Amino acid sequence: MRRDAFSDIHPAVSFALFAAVLVLTAFVLHPAVTGISLVSACIYTIVLKGRRALLFDLLAVLPFIIVVAALNPLFNHEGATPLFYLWNGNAVTKEAVVYGLVSACMFAALIMWFYCMNAVMTSDKVIFLFGRVLPALSLIFSMTLRFVPRLVSRIREVSAAQKSTSPPMKKGVVSGVRHGISVISVTVGWALESSVVMSDSMRSRGYGGRGRTAYALYRFTARDALLAALAAAFTAAFVWAAASKAVYFRSYPSVKCAPMSVGAVIGLAAFAGLCLMPALLNAWENVKWRILSSKL
Amino acid sequence: MANFKFEALTFTYPNGPAPALESVDLSVRDGEFLLVIGPSGGGKSTLLRHFKSVLAPHGERSGSVLMDGVPLSDVPEREQAAKIGFVFQHPDDQLVTDKVWHELAFGLESLGCGRERMRVRVAEMASYFGLEGVFHKDVAELSGGQKQLVNLASVMAMNPSVLVLDEPTSSLDPIAAFDFLTTVKKLNTELGLTVVLSEHRLEEAMPFADRVAVLEEGRLTAIGEPKAVAEELHKRGSGMALAMPSAARISCAIGCSPAALTVNEGRRMLRSMGLARKTLPETPAPAKGETVLRAKELFFRYEKDSPDVLRGLDIELRAGSVYGLVGGNGAGKSTLLKALSGSAVPYRGRVEISGRRMKGRFSAFEERVGLLPQDPRTVFYPVSVGENVKKAAAGRGAGEEEIERIVSLMGIGSLSERDPFDISGGEQQRTAIAMILLTKPRILLMDEPTKGMDAGVKRAFGLKLRELASEGLSVMLVTHDTEFCAEYADTAALMFDGSISAENTAREFFCGNTFYTTAANRIARDIYPNAILTEEVTALAKRG
Repeated sequence: MRRDAFSDIHPAVSFALFAAVLVLTAFVLHPAVTGISLVSACIYTIVLKGRRALLFDLLAVLPFIIVVAALNPLFNHEGATPLFYLWNGNAVTKEAVVYGLVSACMFAALIMWFYCMNAVMTSDKVIFLFGRVLPALSLIFSMTLRFVPRLVSRIREVSAAQKSTSPPMKKGVVSGVRHGISVISVTVGWALESSVVMSDSMRSRGYGGRGRTAYALYRFTARDALLAALAAAFTAAFVWAAASKAVYFRSYPSVKCAPMSVGAVIGLAAFAGLCLMPALLNAWENVKWRILSSKL
Repeated sequence: MANFKFEALTFTYPNGPAPALESVDLSVRDGEFLLVIGPSGGGKSTLLRHFKSVLAPHGERSGSVLMDGVPLSDVPEREQAAKIGFVFQHPDDQLVTDKVWHELAFGLESLGCGRERMRVRVAEMASYFGLEGVFHKDVAELSGGQKQLVNLASVMAMNPSVLVLDEPTSSLDPIAAFDFLTTVKKLNTELGLTVVLSEHRLEEAMPFADRVAVLEEGRLTAIGEPKAVAEELHKRGSGMALAMPSAARISCAIGCSPAALTVNEGRRMLRSMGLARKTLPETPAPAKGETVLRAKELFFRYEKDSPDVLRGLDIELRAGSVYGLVGGNGAGKSTLLKALSGSAVPYRGRVEISGRRMKGRFSAFEERVGLLPQDPRTVFYPVSVGENVKKAAAGRGAGEEEIERIVSLMGIGSLSERDPFDISGGEQQRTAIAMILLTKPRILLMDEPTKGMDAGVKRAFGLKLRELASEGLSVMLVTHDTEFCAEYADTAALMFDGSISAENTAREFFCGNTFYTTAANRIARDIYPNAILTEEVTALAKRG
């Protein structure tokens, strides 16, 4: 992953922003909104992963959109405006085509936002966020993250050690299963024993007492406050525009879109601001670095 | 700060045949560095666990443990959690969380420490222990030494007044072990922290200790200043005398008092005696048996884009010989063993067993190559030691007689009912070796076989190894233990940067090195340039 300015902000803010973008994208089905969300997500994946992301966007996301957009009108025949009729007499309607296209873009946008979120919200951040509310849960999460790779590497070690103590695995399912069982059984013995030591180590360091707290790896800075306020303002403006139907779109029974108005412009601009915030933050930081290094 | 007093402490494990601790009277003073030594299974861990109520084992107990004059059982658990720091043996098992920062904070989180205070404590620990560079890393990425340092730091974050360490360096290489012990000593001198440490590495640990307590078969058999204890053990002819640092063994054997502890003290002592310069007669090169295992220009790396771990390595193992391979961490020693036993496939070069070229991931079992892995626990099934041995014997149909012979050879007869995960590190090592020997290998590859063995066991093991070699087994051991290598290997080699950079008979090899050599050689090299064992130095010095 490349250096990403948005990943440096407080996890509560980045999490809230992702949550807002995801919820609004999922619930406000409007070509402009979906388009803005999809384009911003594409831009941000490129910021995060570079050119490879562009390839991913073109080779995976675009076909996905085409397939989903094509499927809807084939199976859904609601809507008032038939475009043409299929061999079995079912109508392909304008409404179904539009709805299919918009919802396909919406799903694609959600997938890409999740992809970004996955890259930005590292385990540390998730643990931190959980830790504020449920310290015990965040500990379990952290222990699981440690245990799983350990188990896998242990299985590998045991399997290597068995090569010299037991006959080679013969071909066939039975022999494979037998080999698997013996590796697992050795690994389980180790896991049980090491869990005893771990529990000693935990109790020895006061685990189980009341009032567990969580270490705060992140600080809430003035910049985080500013970004949070900005995100909140954008969200509020967009929600107001959507609630007052200044930004409004429906597919069925007939395609209908609210006309362009001051309210719609404000609402859509606010949503674009929200979605582009991660990318803009990076751009802003790039400009600053450019200026700083040109002064050197 | 804290002091401890054990009064007539006797403890028996449930179903234990004899008490694990028998009327132990021990006082630990404020700010003292107390080293607890003794053979494995002598009760060191049991004693150390009595320093903290939550760790005290279940069983029958009499006598008392006082902390600062108060019975330990009356000290609230919360207070004990913070005040008594405990570091265990296995660096990996005692880590709880996935990240270094989280591990450092774990104890403070448990105690419900406030946010700002926690931040300060964790920051302090990370910088004192030099962990800034790994602060955000996964613990899985750390080396063994770094892991143990994280364990120490995460205990120190709770600001304890006493630190109890149960063989903390037994799975570390000598350099990491020395760094770790030095850090512990620093805490002791700079913070006045009371330290109770149990150790097998006395060469390094003895000079650090204020007092040494010797625990044999559950009894405290000697306690006092290191030099006095060394002399007393020698006088008594105790088995523990073997475990003393080389300088102490030499000075006691030639009757110098006070005993020397460090290499430097030993050198000064010998110099002051005005001994004549002597060389030992050349040992004849061992008779060359047929080549059983040969590697030719091996190249290996783990991933396509990662650096080579083995680069053009040549090695040859002859029938009935013991080949010792030393070298720093990351020199590729363990990888070499993997390549020789068929679990790592070199991308160039060849491995030959008895002249036949091996292809791909060959079966070590079929080629009769036994491999003792770095962690012996990887070969144990969750059944008793006896059952494990039987299972291993079944692989090649070794009979009752053979089992009995190997079991008594490795001295694990008394363990047959025990859980292999519950015995000491040295005992685990021997059990694993017995299991591997029962698959009737012709070649035995061993990764750090003497790790966690005490001096007595190590000697017995070395002698058995020679016995097996004389029966025709070819042994290759990868080790950090130069003393063991000097004493029991015919040929020794140094592995560096993925290939063998020097190979010679063990004597020539060690007396030619400055760093990779035995302490005895470093002590006496000016007057006895080719003596490498303490016994040789002693014998020469006694003759005057």
